[in-house]
Amino acid sequence: MNELPTKYPYLPTWCPGCGNFGIMNAIKMAILKSGIPREKFVMIYDIGCAGNMADFLDLYGFHGLHGRALPPAAGIKLANHDLKVIVVIGDGGCYGEGATHFINLMRGNHDITVLVHDNHRYSLTTGQMSPTTDQGTKTKSTPEGALEVPMKPLALAVSNHATFIAREFSGNIPQLSMRIGQAIAHEGFSLIDTLQICSVYNPTQDLKWYKEHTVGLEMIGHDPSDKAAAWARAMEEDKLPVGLFYQEKRPAYHQMVSELQSATLLNHDKSVVKMDELLNEYR
Amino acid sequence: MRMENSLNWKVGGAAGEGIMTTGLIFSKVVARHGWQVFDYTEYPSLITGGHNTYQVYAQTNFAGSQAKILDVLVAMDKNTLGLHLDELSDQSIILYDSQDDKIKIDEYAGLKGKKVDLPMVSLAQQVGGTRLMANNVALGASIYLLGLDLGVLNGVISDIFDRKGEEVVKENQAAAKAGYDFVMNSVGAPLMTVAKNEGKNYLTMTGNEAASLGAIAGGLQLYAAYPMTPSSSILHTLAAKASEADIVVKHAEDEIGVINMAIGASFAGVRAACGSSGGGFAYMTEALGLAGVAEVPLVVFESMRPGPALGMPTWTAQGDLQFILTASQDEFPRFVLTPGDATESFHMTRLAFELAEKYQTLAIVVLDKHLSESRYTMTLDVTEFKNERYGFAQAPALDSVGFYPRYEVTESGVHERSIPGQVGGNYIANSYEHDKYGFATEEGWVRVEQMDKRNKKFEMMKREILPPHIEDNGGEITLVGFGSTKGALQAGRELLDKAGIKVNILNVSWMWPFPIQAVTDFLNKSVPFAIVEGNSTGQFANVLRQETGLTTEHHFRKYDGRPFYPHEIFEFVKNTLQK
Repeated sequence: MNELPTKYPYLPTWCPGCGNFGIMNAIKMAILKSGIPREKFVMIYDIGCAGNMADFLDLYGFHGLHGRALPPAAGIKLANHDLKVIVVIGDGGCYGEGATHFINLMRGNHDITVLVHDNHRYSLTTGQMSPTTDQGTKTKSTPEGALEVPMKPLALAVSNHATFIAREFSGNIPQLSMRIGQAIAHEGFSLIDTLQICSVYNPTQDLKWYKEHTVGLEMIGHDPSDKAAAWARAMEEDKLPVGLFYQEKRPAYHQMVSELQSATLLNHDKSVVKMDELLNEYR
Repeated sequence: MRMENSLNWKVGGAAGEGIMTTGLIFSKVVARHGWQVFDYTEYPSLITGGHNTYQVYAQTNFAGSQAKILDVLVAMDKNTLGLHLDELSDQSIILYDSQDDKIKIDEYAGLKGKKVDLPMVSLAQQVGGTRLMANNVALGASIYLLGLDLGVLNGVISDIFDRKGEEVVKENQAAAKAGYDFVMNSVGAPLMTVAKNEGKNYLTMTGNEAASLGAIAGGLQLYAAYPMTPSSSILHTLAAKASEADIVVKHAEDEIGVINMAIGASFAGVRAACGSSGGGFAYMTEALGLAGVAEVPLVVFESMRPGPALGMPTWTAQGDLQFILTASQDEFPRFVLTPGDATESFHMTRLAFELAEKYQTLAIVVLDKHLSESRYTMTLDVTEFKNERYGFAQAPALDSVGFYPRYEVTESGVHERSIPGQVGGNYIANSYEHDKYGFATEEGWVRVEQMDKRNKKFEMMKREILPPHIEDNGGEITLVGFGSTKGALQAGRELLDKAGIKVNILNVSWMWPFPIQAVTDFLNKSVPFAIVEGNSTGQFANVLRQETGLTTEHHFRKYDGRPFYPHEIFEFVKNTLQK
């Protein structure tokens, strides 16, 4: 049951050196380590290079529309809260096109794990700017340099009540895998913003760049129950902190829905529906 | 005193004055006399201050439409007196309160009928009630004038205000009695008497309430929506019933989130639906294609209002028809149902869940403001509904390649699906074109194979078609409509009958796959036909021509936001036959 999901339906089509390889392996290791049967996992893939993982993983999957991976994830969890729901999405889909879902589902503390493959570009569409692209960056859609200031997704998540907030680097597979395992175990909305190399469309932010521009939260001392400190760390720019920013225990959405207390929605039997009582109001 | 078989009553006032509750109470009183009612409301898109009306047309045997000329107009404010002049006759009675709104009734030139000055507010206060209870004074007076039973009114008041406590019920009943007594003394004999139809235990509900209950009866488990008039009361009804019906209702962040959430839930194995009006439905368009290509069962409500864009939120239209029939990228088979009244709304919604699941595709239930928010009379022969489940693999197994061939081509085009959690069933539900396992593909032959597989389902879906509502009266002309036109056509036919003009009716409540055979068979009769529809370019006429080749030169199109009135149908038919 818990053999490592090593089978590739198709061989990955990612570019050599792409951070997605590391993230996929970290996911596999986390699933294996969790001890939870594989069929209990559902992967929701957004569109983009990250989402193409749908064809490389041997698990139940839902490959949704661009920017729209979070709503089906929430719907799947509401339908059957025995499942473990993991979203694989890029910075464009999560923070740009689908930002309204990101903002609202985190408030509701829907119990889904959101892995944002954050390479600061729209890569599959050939490298246009994304919501996390630095101001001034020249891309195909911003030949004179991006005018916008980049989004700070972790600060947003801290101020907007996500209950598990982390940033990791795709190159550190053991740590990323450990963090994904924590996120899966966390009951509530978990976000892992995963810094990822795109050697083709963002060659500047390469392995060396990340080594110079990231610092482990454990190294600098951080209490993940301290919300104000988490917010301050999430606002830092010169050296991007990596690790667990914030975690709190709060009931997940499905745990607050009164109709889901007795059983999963899937197991609510509708084979015979009696309407008599419901009709009284209309007499 | 007249012994009548119909009555027409309207209350008007400012939004926020309880006009809708007042109308609902009156409607229930009449329905509990065993009469059929049809309630029609008008209101602007405002919270307070706009002019609201609630109208109850009732008849001993059949009520399917509002009518124009009123027996009683209750003016809860000054405005009401000026806004309905053309709905009054010399026989009408107008109830107003000169003290409260400082009304000088002689200033209203052209106000036909008998004006009865009813001190609604002071009577309510005299019996210990509040200002808002003036509405019950008006109700009591109306009940007397129309020869209805005060005891029935007391019963309805008791049912509606029960949860507010015995004291509130008593105060409201006392206010009603005060109004009843006042007009008995000041007006004398009632306008008419109403004979109770014993043994008629009618339900009354709006098209949206009927759709909501039909969904529950059809095994709905999750409903996601974002409010948009006139679809919002589906969300409100289901949310209010969620606990009792044991369903989950989610008001999500926007219409795109709503439909994707519902699709996710359906993928995981529950019966799911979402709903909106034209604007929100436009947002959902991309995901309609997702349900189509991933073959995820989904029921979507679309309650039309005038557009384009925001249009006129609280008014009615049938202008989204052609959009709904094709909304999505590219092609996939879908069901489109266009119920014509609350009874059809209930049954067709219930059926939609079965159809969507059976054919693993989209079923759209189309309503409009007129159907969604008007209150109809109905009965249900049974109140216990059995729901069979379709297309679930009991023991999915991986094939020799090692994956579950969930999209393998079958004779019917439908393949059993597994759901997450089942061992041996993993596959990808994919928004990309995909192979039999759900993995994305750009291979031409796989694409063609999967398109053909999905299109195959359409041939099977055609076998489910329900025929249109047909009334063959040996008429000189056949009136053709779809959806909510049904009631107006039926009421128009009654008026024409009285004038010795016979007409047939064909109203399409199952739109897609189009009921080609049944429609062609009936319209190919020798009499001419006319198409009555609520849009400006004749969208239904276009669909009819496209599917059957049938055309006509007779069209009655309305797109002013108002529903068809029976007298308009009457005039239209008379003019058409004279040509």
